[in-house]
Amino acid sequence: MSCRETTAELVECARGQGSPNRELRAHMAACSACRERWEAERQLSAHLNLMRACSSAVAPADGNKAALMREFATYQRTKKKPLWAWPLAAAAAVVFAMAIGHETGVMQHRHRPVNSTSAHFAGADTVLYEVSSYPGEFAGDSFVQVPYTPPVATGEMIRMIHTEMVPEALASMGVDVDPSWTENVPVDVAVGEDGLPHAIRISDSN
Amino acid sequence: MRPASYEASDEELFRLMRNGSQEAFARLYDRRAPALQRFALHMTGSPAIAEEISHEVFVQLMGPTSRFDESRGSLESFLYGIARNLVRVFRRQGPVAETVEQAFEPDILRELIGNESTQALYRTLRELPDRYRDVIVLCDLEERSYEDVARIIECPVGTVRSRLHRARALLAAKLKRIQAQTEVFSA
Repeated sequence: MSCRETTAELVECARGQGSPNRELRAHMAACSACRERWEAERQLSAHLNLMRACSSAVAPADGNKAALMREFATYQRTKKKPLWAWPLAAAAAVVFAMAIGHETGVMQHRHRPVNSTSAHFAGADTVLYEVSSYPGEFAGDSFVQVPYTPPVATGEMIRMIHTEMVPEALASMGVDVDPSWTENVPVDVAVGEDGLPHAIRISDSN
Repeated sequence: MRPASYEASDEELFRLMRNGSQEAFARLYDRRAPALQRFALHMTGSPAIAEEISHEVFVQLMGPTSRFDESRGSLESFLYGIARNLVRVFRRQGPVAETVEQAFEPDILRELIGNESTQALYRTLRELPDRYRDVIVLCDLEERSYEDVARIIECPVGTVRSRLHRARALLAAKLKRIQAQTEVFSA
């Protein structure tokens, strides 16, 4: 048995806290280097066992686990709603609210039919236009384009809705009214197929 | 129907965790966190850093950047891989002020502090190259089999064995010098 083979077996023997077999003992009796190595390995194992015993009590603090579980719960919530979705959802909500809110507002106001060159729907307070060229379509009729709305496309159908608005709101949209007026102003609102108001004018059919 | 004693594997728990199961995550933590923390403690010598590492391992596991792939190895190996990387990061930041003795129970601490050779050996262990320290910590301090360690550090069993023998030879030589110095001082 060579020293190399003996050393490998001695290491395993020391790790397992066993005793060398007869063959190893015979080799060590004749080899001082392997005898020394055996003694060193035995002592090393004793020290490592002490280190192991010392560290066996080491465990994460309870607070760590609780904090981690909170982080997990928070992560799961944010995972369901990706961060990029929030601005998108907010923008969509604003647009939707503007459209619905405006329609609802229109419905709650007193409506009157508008004199127009286009066809009227019997008994309705809306008139349907087909845009041939916008905004020129309305420009001649004192319409003011509503800010921040995309232009309507040629051929798009426009509903003309008659309603009333507070002067201050009209002034903020660029309609030439005195914002200090106290009474609501009758207006015609051009609403596109997207449900958004695109142009507005003071109605002459009060 | 699974038997009552059925223990879900790490990988099964991981899949449940990814589907939002906090219970699975908690079980994974209970199963793996103590050994990971001990590993980090032996590797860094700092109880505070060890705690931070074991925490961070699980934060990374649950996060969106977790790259665990079952087909490439075990979850345990993946967790130790994260811990080993974090240990390297902390080691690059320099030595820590606190000592490992702060982590131990008072009674055991007394025994450890009383044994200067063991303390010196502990310091030597932390000075070993990572590849030797990994196997000493996992094989001799955590008592993992060669096969387990080979899976964890992703190398052949023969390499684990040869590294361990080399590491032990280095430690044994150091221990011999320490004891020789102690004898000189006490004489």
